[in-house]
Amino acid sequence: MSYYFTILSPTDVPLFNIAFGTSKSGGDGIARFRFPDTAQYMNQFIIHSSLDMVEEAQWMNGNMYLKHIDTYPPASAYISAFLTPSGARFLLLHQPPQLPSTAASASGTSGSILGGSFSASALGGGSSRASASSVAANPTSPQTEEAVRQFMGEVYENYVKTVMSPFYRQGMEIRSSVFRSRVTAAGRKWL
Amino acid sequence: MTVFSLIIINKAGGLIYQREFQPGLRKLSTNDYLVLAGTFHGVHAITRTITPKLPYLATTPASNTSTTTSSTPTSATALASPSGTTTPIPNTTSTAATYMYPIPGVAATGLDSLETDKFRLTCFQTLTGTKFLLFTDPHMANVEPVMRKIYEFYADFVMKNPFYQLEMPVRCEAFDRNLNGWLRGRT
Amino acid sequence: MSSSTKASRIGEELWKTRVDKVNAELVTLTYGTIVAQLCQDYDGNYQEVNKQLEKMGYNIGMRLIEDFLAKSNVGRCANFRETADMIAKVGFRIFLNIAPTVTNWTSDNNQFSLVFDENPLADFVELPDDGRAQDELWFSNILCGVLRGALEMVQMQIEAHFVSDVLRGDDTTEMRVSLVRYIEDEMPPEEE
Repeated sequence: MSYYFTILSPTDVPLFNIAFGTSKSGGDGIARFRFPDTAQYMNQFIIHSSLDMVEEAQWMNGNMYLKHIDTYPPASAYISAFLTPSGARFLLLHQPPQLPSTAASASGTSGSILGGSFSASALGGGSSRASASSVAANPTSPQTEEAVRQFMGEVYENYVKTVMSPFYRQGMEIRSSVFRSRVTAAGRKWL
Repeated sequence: MTVFSLIIINKAGGLIYQREFQPGLRKLSTNDYLVLAGTFHGVHAITRTITPKLPYLATTPASNTSTTTSSTPTSATALASPSGTTTPIPNTTSTAATYMYPIPGVAATGLDSLETDKFRLTCFQTLTGTKFLLFTDPHMANVEPVMRKIYEFYADFVMKNPFYQLEMPVRCEAFDRNLNGWLRGRT
Repeated sequence: MSSSTKASRIGEELWKTRVDKVNAELVTLTYGTIVAQLCQDYDGNYQEVNKQLEKMGYNIGMRLIEDFLAKSNVGRCANFRETADMIAKVGFRIFLNIAPTVTNWTSDNNQFSLVFDENPLADFVELPDDGRAQDELWFSNILCGVLRGALEMVQMQIEAHFVSDVLRGDDTTEMRVSLVRYIEDEMPPEEE
């Protein structure tokens, strides 16, 4: 499983981005997305396109954790969202490791041009690592939702501490290396 | 248990506070209070100078915290005529303190209390040099806790008031209010 | 009993019985805002910010010492070593609920270091990454001023400065305190 995590300010300004891979069941923590490194912006496209869903879902119940809210089948990308009370959005894109069958079905179902290009590029590159772990294998399973909840909770705690730094101004990009390492640690711990 | 009045003198000998809590003493003019403060400051300094220096006894280390503050020596009394001409007798306090002062040549305290048949004046000098003079009934016991409490009020409502300028006359309404309230509650 | 353990006991007792507690985040955020504002006002001139913080601390120290004395009811310290223990184990304890370690004495007993394991003023803080703050700003410099102001009021002229800070990536936070002289005259200090 590969992950792309983004924090968006209430006005949709990206404050923080990080890509990492699973560390569960022998994962090495390195992200391996299905598109080449030159197309990493696709992650951002996909994540931002889920914002409409987030804005709809955020009024459905009072929870901060919105669980899995959007799927982008062409890239088999799953988005989970977490809202802070101040309106910042934590979005996590997860993409299961490419299995020959998933890739085939993905290319089969892809209707858009974008989706087609994904699958084509995905077929060419990337090491596929089959994983038996429930977290990694199935992005919508209850175990995954729980793991993501724990991850979001831990990130939220560190986010609060980071924005409490007197030198951080609201809406500013989070450049703190401490925060980055804490997010990485949380990813290693839960995902 | 009568507390007549309180005077606070800054480290330079200037009068920074004077209040009467209960009647019983004759009033002085503002100028006389200033003179009283300055004179007392001078006398206090002299009495401190003539206090003999005490040898350092290595056998009683670090016992100063209890000795300096708990020493309530029998105060030298000076009978006064009603007109108020007193002859103060310096009272060398802290005789139990057997440590060397960190500042060469400066004794711990000077004049500590002064008594007439109508009132007793107790002086408490803080380590920062500020002096509190309390005029009480001569029979009043336990002046020390009253003094401590006054010092606490001073620290709270005078020193912590950001608009109070150090060493300047104290015009802090909260200090007056709390002091008055507490003294009234005691009696 | 050493003066250090005695001081620890006094500090502990006062902290439990005499001190009004306040939310730590309130203190941290208030102080942090002040420092950040100073950095902005002085346009990133961190030497000047250090100086201003020290001056603010000095003015605080001159007032705080009375509170310390009124609360603690301790007498005059017999020597500078005892003073150091009082500062570390009673002063820091009642005002910040920390007890820095007193260490690195010089042989003439006139200089020591305070090593802080924790520093509530600097919680959450990350110095600006402009490449200079890490080398120039002493974030908690107000504490140096507090010590200077407080000790001046009890007739000790000292000099205090930080030599390391975990915020800068150092292993420890350490303040160096040096006794300059005992002040013998009792003239009021000039306004600063």
